[in-house]
Amino acid sequence: MEILYLLATTIADTILNIARLALLLVPVMVLIEIARYYQLIEKLTGRIKGALEFLTLPQEAAFPLLAGLFFGIVLGSALIIDYAREGILKKRDLLLIGIFLSISHSVVEDTLIFAVFGANPIILLTTRTILAIVITRIAASLIDRNSPVESLRN
Amino acid sequence: MNKLIAPVKTGLVKSAKLLWLLLKIIVPVSCIVAVLEHYGIIEMFAASFAPAMSYFGLPGEATIALLLSFTVNFYAALGVLGAMTLSPQQITVLAVMIGICHELPVETVVCSYTGLRIPAAAVLRISTALFAGFTLNLIYNLVS
Repeated sequence: MEILYLLATTIADTILNIARLALLLVPVMVLIEIARYYQLIEKLTGRIKGALEFLTLPQEAAFPLLAGLFFGIVLGSALIIDYAREGILKKRDLLLIGIFLSISHSVVEDTLIFAVFGANPIILLTTRTILAIVITRIAASLIDRNSPVESLRN
Repeated sequence: MNKLIAPVKTGLVKSAKLLWLLLKIIVPVSCIVAVLEHYGIIEMFAASFAPAMSYFGLPGEATIALLLSFTVNFYAALGVLGAMTLSPQQITVLAVMIGICHELPVETVVCSYTGLRIPAAAVLRISTALFAGFTLNLIYNLVS
């Protein structure tokens, strides 16, 4: 009997938690869709030139990078596969995007969910972003030092 | 205004799907954790991991959240998070670790299309998560 009571309260608590989450998640998901509809990412791509230069990535990397960062690793990777097939990006660049997105992706949704559970969203977001940038930059140096650029062409 | 109907609808449908997914994962995980906790099994498990977790300023129970996040996904980890009493510092440290490293079986495969090999991606993310948790806890302790 005690166990049934325990389960009932656990289920009630959990549903309450998810309902609280829904209050934030639903508006944000709608806003993300609207941003996608107005092709906001395309408009942003020109603005991250400095960041791309620091990461030693070409301008073409902006779109898959931003898409993965905001909409998730699945969409980011799908775009990357597409770019790879069309030969828009070099193997080296694809790998670097993969490393960046591994560490930091779907930042809006993830950060929001954890914020509802009591985490500090600003610390969460900055830690992940800084780490992604630093590690990608280190990887870029390592790749360029160890292999001549020619061998990495598609 | 009419143009907005389609994206708003997509957003609502996606939210509904995500919330349903969350319910399907978090409710059973929370129940299992609650039962295990009731019988003191979590406590036994947590005690053996307490020394390792202390590097991140986290209680031993956090191991379960981390392992669930690494292997299943971070929604499953949320089920455990709800059952633990953590300080804001601890929740943030744990959230950073989970945010960096989650759902490895699925995401490393997805990411392998970029040329990042699966074992390399797993090692990268686990070590980054551990490093981030350790460093962030250190900074928190220094600041406060």
